[in-house]
Amino acid sequence: MAKRFSRRQFLKFSAVGLGSTMLVQCADYDPSVGPTELKPGDVVPCARTWVSQLQDLVVGQPVDFGYPLPTLPAFAVKLGEPAAGGIGPDGDVVAFSYLCTHMGCPILGGYNHEHKILGPCRCHFTTFSMRHRGQVVLGQATADLPQITLEVEGDDVLATGITGVIFGELSQRCSPAAGGTSA
Amino acid sequence: MSRVPLPPVDAVVKNTACEYCSVGCGYKTYTWPLGREGGLAAEENAIGRDFPLGGGGGWPSALMHNVVRVDGELRNVLVLPDPDATVVNPGGDHSVRGGGLASRLYNPDSPTRDRLTQPQVRINGELVAIGWDAAIDIVAEVSAHVIATRGPLAWGMKRPSYGGHENAYVQTKLAWKAIGSPNHAAHHAPAAGDDAPGLTDAGIDAFSACYADDKAADVLLIVGTEPYENKTVRFVDWMAAGGATMIHIDPRTTFTSNFAKKNGGMHLPVQIGTDVALLGAIARYIIEQGWHDADFVRDYTADPSQIALEGSWRKRRFGLSYSQLVTELTSEVAFSLDGASQVTGIPVADIIRCAELLSGPLEPNAPRKKVCIYFEKGIMWSHNHEGTGALANLALLLGSVGRPGRAISRLGGHQRGGQTAGGYPLSASPHSFEGHNVPMDQDRWTVAGNTHFMWVIGTNWIGCSSGSGVLRDKLVSMTQASPHQPTSTNTAAIIATLKARVDAGGMVMVNQELYANETTALCDLVLPASGWGERTFARHNAERRLRLYERFCDPPGEAREDWVIVADVARRMGFEGFDWPDGNAVLEEAAEASRGKRLDFSTLVIGAQVKGLTSYELLRSYGTTGIQTPVDLLDGQLVSTERLHADLKFKGDSGKANFVKTSWTVVEQRYNALAPRGDQLWVTNMRVNHLWNNLSDSLRRPDAVARWPANCLQLNPEDAQRLGIASGDQLRIENSSLIDHLGNTRTGSFEAVAYVTDEVPPGLTCAYFLYPGSMPNSVVPADTTLQANNLRYNCKLGRGSITRLGRSPLADTMPFIPRNIV
Ligand code: SF4
Ligand code: FES
Repeated sequence: MAKRFSRRQFLKFSAVGLGSTMLVQCADYDPSVGPTELKPGDVVPCARTWVSQLQDLVVGQPVDFGYPLPTLPAFAVKLGEPAAGGIGPDGDVVAFSYLCTHMGCPILGGYNHEHKILGPCRCHFTTFSMRHRGQVVLGQATADLPQITLEVEGDDVLATGITGVIFGELSQRCSPAAGGTSA
Repeated sequence: MSRVPLPPVDAVVKNTACEYCSVGCGYKTYTWPLGREGGLAAEENAIGRDFPLGGGGGWPSALMHNVVRVDGELRNVLVLPDPDATVVNPGGDHSVRGGGLASRLYNPDSPTRDRLTQPQVRINGELVAIGWDAAIDIVAEVSAHVIATRGPLAWGMKRPSYGGHENAYVQTKLAWKAIGSPNHAAHHAPAAGDDAPGLTDAGIDAFSACYADDKAADVLLIVGTEPYENKTVRFVDWMAAGGATMIHIDPRTTFTSNFAKKNGGMHLPVQIGTDVALLGAIARYIIEQGWHDADFVRDYTADPSQIALEGSWRKRRFGLSYSQLVTELTSEVAFSLDGASQVTGIPVADIIRCAELLSGPLEPNAPRKKVCIYFEKGIMWSHNHEGTGALANLALLLGSVGRPGRAISRLGGHQRGGQTAGGYPLSASPHSFEGHNVPMDQDRWTVAGNTHFMWVIGTNWIGCSSGSGVLRDKLVSMTQASPHQPTSTNTAAIIATLKARVDAGGMVMVNQELYANETTALCDLVLPASGWGERTFARHNAERRLRLYERFCDPPGEAREDWVIVADVARRMGFEGFDWPDGNAVLEEAAEASRGKRLDFSTLVIGAQVKGLTSYELLRSYGTTGIQTPVDLLDGQLVSTERLHADLKFKGDSGKANFVKTSWTVVEQRYNALAPRGDQLWVTNMRVNHLWNNLSDSLRRPDAVARWPANCLQLNPEDAQRLGIASGDQLRIENSSLIDHLGNTRTGSFEAVAYVTDEVPPGLTCAYFLYPGSMPNSVVPADTTLQANNLRYNCKLGRGSITRLGRSPLADTMPFIPRNIV
């Protein structure tokens, strides 16, 4: 397999549920011969951003915030069921970008608690599973919904990075303006 | 690499359309040297968009990029839904399938590395590389021997009807015209012939509508198909976008069902296999209320004397006038409201509401509602003739044909790339109905031991055949179990051994493919074919839109175009008329065979000649928009035919349409023969939107594999509870009363992972239709004498007993979330 990432920086990610996930640093454009491939679970660290107090998170009620930039809509939610990448004592707090990876419509207010999905997106009806790292359940997107990694610090829930590519971007990175904290 | 590179402004841009579903979305491909990238500003990249993109079409996700070879050089490639498209997928919409097209391209650094790249022959049970010359010799010599010693019927071909007109034309020119063998079928059926015979018998073309009709309609009646899963962009951008009231008739409660219900329409969860009763009852109720389009019926449907004079025996046998239809509908209890309700499980009130939505009482002088009727495999793969006939009857009663927003059509599965050379040798078919030859069932013929050479092209024959296991066992006994197995790479020795096998009653199989599949495992010779993107070809979509699918990368290794391989064999066999310099020459010859039919592109070829262009050049100039056939000439301009039957003329000698005999009594006998026994449940099959056909591409895409790491069996929670089954359990589905190709009772089975969901009602289970190693067709009846007037399988009507084998290793990772949430 061709080299896909220059793994100059391997850091153990300590959050619950992400114990085995590696932090990777994006390489500069590398004309290797493999197709573009992003491994699910690869994380890019972005600005540590306060999301909520852990105790304020109510099962089934999303908390909206901006991430990885303040202008990019994202949300955190306590699912009430353990989820891949979930944090907190029950491993059930997750956060995702709201920007649909099909054609970029924001799925604002689209969290469906009965099924723990985001969607259907109002544009073309894609739904994403909040328990399976943003995997497409049914619909048109060719990429998982980017998951936002969270950490608990005391009673604070912090957003710390992203997996996957935010709609409209060409790589895993945090901020178009800054070129990403890792690029 | 970890970043999707943008194409620089000087990237090579080509037009194509999606390889997959019938919708046929337009795509652009960009290739450029490695190590270079376009800039983020619109004027600095070939997509012409600013990045990061704020929304809409033109965003290349990681799955849209790959690295390929172009004329031997490594190149970046983006395969992007055309962001500037104005037809089919306006603005660059795409489904999850098409969005991943780049991932299907050959790249030895990706899961496509197991593409077949060179001709191989089986020596001592193992595939060994040989040269093309030797391979062509073997196919030609063994073919000639089989034909000479056992006759043309012993020589068969199984091929896709979507591989592009060039391939289909040359394949059928060899099989039908040169060899004269009726032992021939497309990928989806055991016999050549009609998939929607009820429409044809009525005089209606099965692909007469255009997508604009979906938007223009007031009501869409969608029967036996799930368009969001697998006609995705058409559903979103045309059907839903037009705001029509949807009525979904389907045993399963799918996304479309719930979408219809939520938006003022309805879902009729008909008991599987009983659509004919429901459609008949709706038709009868509409007639009884006087809601039918009496003017249309009077002016455009035939009377009994016209039907009696029709040249087609089918029209004479099955055609009905309006008054004969009324008699037919009123003579059967199953077509009364109560009778139909009992048979179909649909409450009387819902049948009435459906009739009202379609044509209900109108204010005086109010215009009739514009209704489009769309259907697909749920009808075609159950009671094929009666189901399509019942839909045609309803369409004629509603005047739903040939006019904006008023049409009846198949939605289609794949695209239409099957222009044949014509001349199917029907008179040589060994199969008949009431004294009339019908295209032969090659699977029945093969299971009876009568096929001695089979050339399987671009399809998994075993998985596609009903009674899959029965066909496989027969093929094993005639190939692998034969004592006549090549033991050296000497071409003459191989040919002698394979001829000896044929003489001893055995069979030789050739497989021409992209990847090895279940059928390949039994083949003596494996020929590597080039695929989409690696060859230039022409194909239609479901609204008869013809486009050029340009080559933009090299085929792997020694892979060749299907038609080139077939033409080589034909010439080696001594047949004339198989010398074409290129695909354009094939297409131009095929134009003649298309004349007068729905795919008619003969005018295009003439138009190109007048302009001093090749047909490929002219078609290329139409980009991803293409041109809708039949191509017409108007004021010196080539123009599209938007919809068929716009002149309200129908197929047949009288030019009138006719109603079709669709007796419930006939259907009921078949239904009773196929219904589950004892502890069996119905086992039907579906498509899901991540997967395409036999998964040759899907299994090499990370997102599709992650979503569907195994086949599933959908079960209603009630059945699951009774059987002690939970989502994630490994199940065995066994039909010990399988009716095989010859009418014998056999056993067939497959395994799948339980997916407990209310998408299926109690008594019905459902699996993906063509998952390698897990073939629902194994439990599906294979006896086409059950539908003797048109030999088609009842693929949707399998049955089986369900056994829980334990917990699947995938139980904790595969999402079992309902897929019908709206
Ligand atoms: S809807 Fe069909 S044609 Fe369009 S991108 Fe999807 S698979 Fe391809
Ligand atoms: S943008 Fe969300 S489904 Fe298309």
